[in-house]
Amino acid sequence: MQVGLKIWRYDSRSGDRKLAEYEVDAPEWACLLDVLDIIKDKHDGTLAFRKSCRMMICGSCGMRMDGRAVLACKERMQPIAESGHVPVISAMGNLPIVKDLVVDMGPFWDKIRAVKPWLDPGYDEIAEKERIVSQQQMNAIQKESLCIMCGCCVSECNSMESDPAFLGPAALAKGFRFVGDPREGQQVERLVELNGEHGIWDCTRCYFCNERCPKGVDPRDAIAKLGAESIKEGIDHDMGAKHAKWFVRSAMTTGWLRETELVPKTQGIVSAIKQTGFALGLAVKGKVPPPFPPHVADKVGEARGLYELVKRQGRRGAAGIIQGERALSRLEFGEEHGARRDSPEITPGEEPPAAGH
Amino acid sequence: MKVAYYKGCLASLSAKELDISTQALAPKVGLELEELDAVTCCGAGDIHEAEPDYYLHLNARILAYAEATGSDTLMTVCNVCTLNLRQANLILQNDDDVRARVNENLEAVGAPPYSGGVDVKHLLWLIAEGDGFERLKQAAHKGLKGLKVAPFYGCQILRPSKLLGFEDPDRPHSLEAIILACGGEPIDYPAKIKCCGFPIIQAREETALGELIQPLEQASEAGADAIVTPCPLCHLSLDAWQSKLKATTGKDFQMPILHLSQLIGVAAGLEASELKFRRHVVSVKPVDEKLQV
Repeated sequence: MQVGLKIWRYDSRSGDRKLAEYEVDAPEWACLLDVLDIIKDKHDGTLAFRKSCRMMICGSCGMRMDGRAVLACKERMQPIAESGHVPVISAMGNLPIVKDLVVDMGPFWDKIRAVKPWLDPGYDEIAEKERIVSQQQMNAIQKESLCIMCGCCVSECNSMESDPAFLGPAALAKGFRFVGDPREGQQVERLVELNGEHGIWDCTRCYFCNERCPKGVDPRDAIAKLGAESIKEGIDHDMGAKHAKWFVRSAMTTGWLRETELVPKTQGIVSAIKQTGFALGLAVKGKVPPPFPPHVADKVGEARGLYELVKRQGRRGAAGIIQGERALSRLEFGEEHGARRDSPEITPGEEPPAAGH
Repeated sequence: MKVAYYKGCLASLSAKELDISTQALAPKVGLELEELDAVTCCGAGDIHEAEPDYYLHLNARILAYAEATGSDTLMTVCNVCTLNLRQANLILQNDDDVRARVNENLEAVGAPPYSGGVDVKHLLWLIAEGDGFERLKQAAHKGLKGLKVAPFYGCQILRPSKLLGFEDPDRPHSLEAIILACGGEPIDYPAKIKCCGFPIIQAREETALGELIQPLEQASEAGADAIVTPCPLCHLSLDAWQSKLKATTGKDFQMPILHLSQLIGVAAGLEASELKFRRHVVSVKPVDEKLQV
């Protein structure tokens, strides 16, 4: 088949940038990476791109096709070629371009390193017996363990585009991979660090990371799990955590968001007073609803009752999100994938023996 | 078509104009709204992040009251409500064990249980295709006189597409189809599918403003007369925080921001008292003037 590609060529040394067009003959089974190989081998040896495994596990060939971050080895070209469309290929976003489709992954690895991507069990002496961890417990970090660190999520992160220091979806998903690990001994210390200025609460919930991840990690959900674990542990000094907690308070007291009180509850009273001029501008347009009398939902007692009931049922924190993953994976991968987590060798509620016993 | 109507927090509070214009528009596009009185906030993603188990129960309760109306559709007018309710619904519909436990808790506090029989749909989805779109075309008799309208989708009506799934999250078309059907001219620009920054506008204002400026700048440069959005949170940041962009960047866009129901409402001839443009921070007068020519 004939496949057309437009590729953004770039040389960081000269600053030269141009859109080059190629049309090549490729076999019908070719993926984007195969087509790039054909171009490099037969047409233009100067084209630069990264590759290694060719089978969606090394994470080297992240790039953009028509503006979407993809793994070049995962994108089949036949339907695109047959439709007559000529896609535009470019380097990933949010990382400096070295040449053509090759980005400098340095800032990416710096952030991965910043979350200490290794297990810290919290003891120095090795236990006499091995410590058995159940499948059930490891399922809690199954999704985050799938990450191949390709950078597709980081490429499209809207918060990182605005704040380049944001730890971002890949590093935070890696953070939960260790916070949620049953063998980890420094959960609280990790959470405190991830609650820093450019951490969990920088996420703007644009969901581009979940949309782009080629492996189903769903980094945004991992960030929500970190938020839920932080609040469960009482780590709630960040304005983002206070903001989130005010929604809980609102739901159980009036049912609806107590919108006007949200600013002082999030930013503190001093900052809220500094916003008075801005708030008055909104107030004249009816955008600052008076807190009294409160807008109360009918039967709000049920909402308060539910809060009191569920907080005693042991599913606070990340467990509240993880309990939904079986249903959502059924949707994504069909019954087979969901059923695997129900298989008989998994004994719900099984606790591992403590270390050293 | 009878639907259970979940207006959410903002349309009940600071964005009352969204509720008023939606209620006025509904009969013109064949929607009979049954309002839910006993429901609460969906949690806006915040309860999902703070107390996710409570989030699931609150949303199950909303879905249960929607189901009790006898309708099979729960209509939303907010992106964030749409994602939160759809996510909870898909979990409850696809896991009998989770649903059984949630229902036991709902019944323990006197709320009805949820059997899984409701689908959550945004107003946009109900009128962008099928019978709803045909009725929209008939209702939009006054037209928009070629008004240049920049669609701004926002995030949580497009992504994650496995939970939303109405249209291609990278090449959406529904707002453009509606703008055209109403006699307007859709303006295209890259940031129409990006984030407005609202979820972190209080906790990380600078980061949020760096996101917010993109659609405003691009829509202005492309010559838009107004931006339309299906989400009241996007509306609030695009409309109310424009003045902060002026203060921090010196750029004064004066870009009128319309709710979806208002844009269609104009084309369908709703009264000023039903559109409530006076509740906007950025004046909608230039749009009004353009339409009166």
